Amino acid sequence: MEKISRRNFLGMSVKATAATFVAGTFAPASNSFFGLAGIAEAATKKISPFTFAVITDAHLHDIKDHKFDRILERAVDDINKMNPAPDFVLYGGDLGQLAKPGELDKGKPILTRLKVPYRIIPGEHDWYLDLGKGWKDRFGTDHWSFDHKGVHFIGMNSILVDDYWTGRSLTPDERMGWCAELESHRCGAWGVGSEQLDWLEKDVAKLSPDTPVFIMTHSPLWDYYPRWNFQTRDAPEIRQILSKFDKVIAIHGHVHQVVYNSMGNMTSAGLLSTSWPWPYPNVQMPYPSIRMNRADPADIYDGLGGHKVTLAGDMGLGGTLNYQVWSDLLPANVQAGIKL
Amino acid sequence: MKKHKSMYAIGTSVMGLSLAGVMLLGGPQDVQAKKPVSPAQAEQERQELLKAVLMGDALWHDGSLGTNGLACGNCHPDGSASNPHTWPKFQTNLGKVGTLREMINWCIMVPLEGKALPTESDKMIAMEAYATFMHDGVPIALGKDEQHGANPVAGGAGYQLPSGVTDLGAP
Ligand code: HEC
Ligand SMILES: [Fe+2]
Ligand SMILES: [Fe+2]
Repeated sequence: MEKISRRNFLGMSVKATAATFVAGTFAPASNSFFGLAGIAEAATKKISPFTFAVITDAHLHDIKDHKFDRILERAVDDINKMNPAPDFVLYGGDLGQLAKPGELDKGKPILTRLKVPYRIIPGEHDWYLDLGKGWKDRFGTDHWSFDHKGVHFIGMNSILVDDYWTGRSLTPDERMGWCAELESHRCGAWGVGSEQLDWLEKDVAKLSPDTPVFIMTHSPLWDYYPRWNFQTRDAPEIRQILSKFDKVIAIHGHVHQVVYNSMGNMTSAGLLSTSWPWPYPNVQMPYPSIRMNRADPADIYDGLGGHKVTLAGDMGLGGTLNYQVWSDLLPANVQAGIKL
Repeated sequence: MKKHKSMYAIGTSVMGLSLAGVMLLGGPQDVQAKKPVSPAQAEQERQELLKAVLMGDALWHDGSLGTNGLACGNCHPDGSASNPHTWPKFQTNLGKVGTLREMINWCIMVPLEGKALPTESDKMIAMEAYATFMHDGVPIALGKDEQHGANPVAGGAGYQLPSGVTDLGAP
């Protein structure tokens, strides 16, 4: 039978959105949106506008010519065609599926094709086969910070759990399997752990409160749906350490969906994956209007995407996140870009 | 009335049903087609169902059901967005009014690139049982086109199995 897209069939299609990401440039409509809102205000602030791209959650499988390879490659190609080019790219974890060498060895060369530098943090799917050894061998430290054009960027490893394997004598494969299921009652709730909290405290100790801070973790820094590890156990401590700043912007992978929250001085946005979309958990969302449409499972590119983040001014002004999609996934308000 | 009563009396003794009081009380809410099963038998039936649910849980998380390593649970954690309470319905990808089982097979064939299961097989019944179990108590909404999340479960709590099953063991 001839394939009809669900949304076409239901008459819900918003064809205007189809232009985004497809033509090889990131959303012209979004660019002009930011041009209007951001730059005028930025003139009075200390950060001149700049843009970077974010991709995450490729979940590469150790299978030849797997469909997820093509999706990550397409996202990387689209970033390489951005004009102007982004200053850099952030990658939010879950590059692999079962942390196998074959997965990470497949993913690294694809990321290396990026024409601009990238920084990367791990997800649980990169980690629990060998407790991060293979990932660290290829990508280095799992938490870091750098300064770019006046903004302090932080990346942390938020998927560290208590030992559930030794007592049960699990094999490395079993250990990975327990954590690879989203319904994470087997591997338990994760967080960054005390070492990284100490590191974070030192890292930001000398920064003045008006320094704009941008933090990326694999999991959200708020309790969204702990059952699926849509949480970070020590997020309250992280938010406390960062509470001295005027403004903190947080982004996270893991949820494979559009989601937004704001708490105190922090705004937080979830990222789309390049593998599969996740349905919304059956809980009240803090900002229900910031969400994505349902995906068509017949279209391997639906429900997925990349991101363009534009920061300007000081963090009192904030930034804009534009989800970049290959389908008509986004309602108009989200397609216009969300304020960070 | 008398005649009826005696008929029921015969029924009760012959078939072991407990309908003697029905005609006297009269309200439809009191009508019982058969005697409630004993608590022991109810528990046994529950255990049989849970076996199917657990088998379904394993299948929904089985990366070898298809050929590309994906499992249903990758995209449907806790069976979310399978919307068992809405079937049968017109589903665009099926191109007709179809059943939950047909849609399960469609997802085996398309996202998982695998081979469809016989619709009456134990495996298929188990997959249906799991999805439905995770939406137990959600009102039927026939044909509704919506994405429904599975019943919420507390973080780390495992499944809400009322039967004393607390640890599902290795996947
Ligand atoms: C790669 C992702 C993916 C995988 C793997 C997948 N599905 Fe789906 N499936 C979807 C998406 C996306 C939808 C549409 C969800 C929505 O309507 O919100 C869907 C829809 C469904 C629906 C119909 C929901 C409705 O009301 O229309 C059922 C049932 C279903 N899937 C079952 C399964 C089963 C069983 C498996 C495993 C054999 C599976 N899916 C594997 C992505 C997937
Ligand atoms: Fe992920
Ligand atoms: Fe993850």
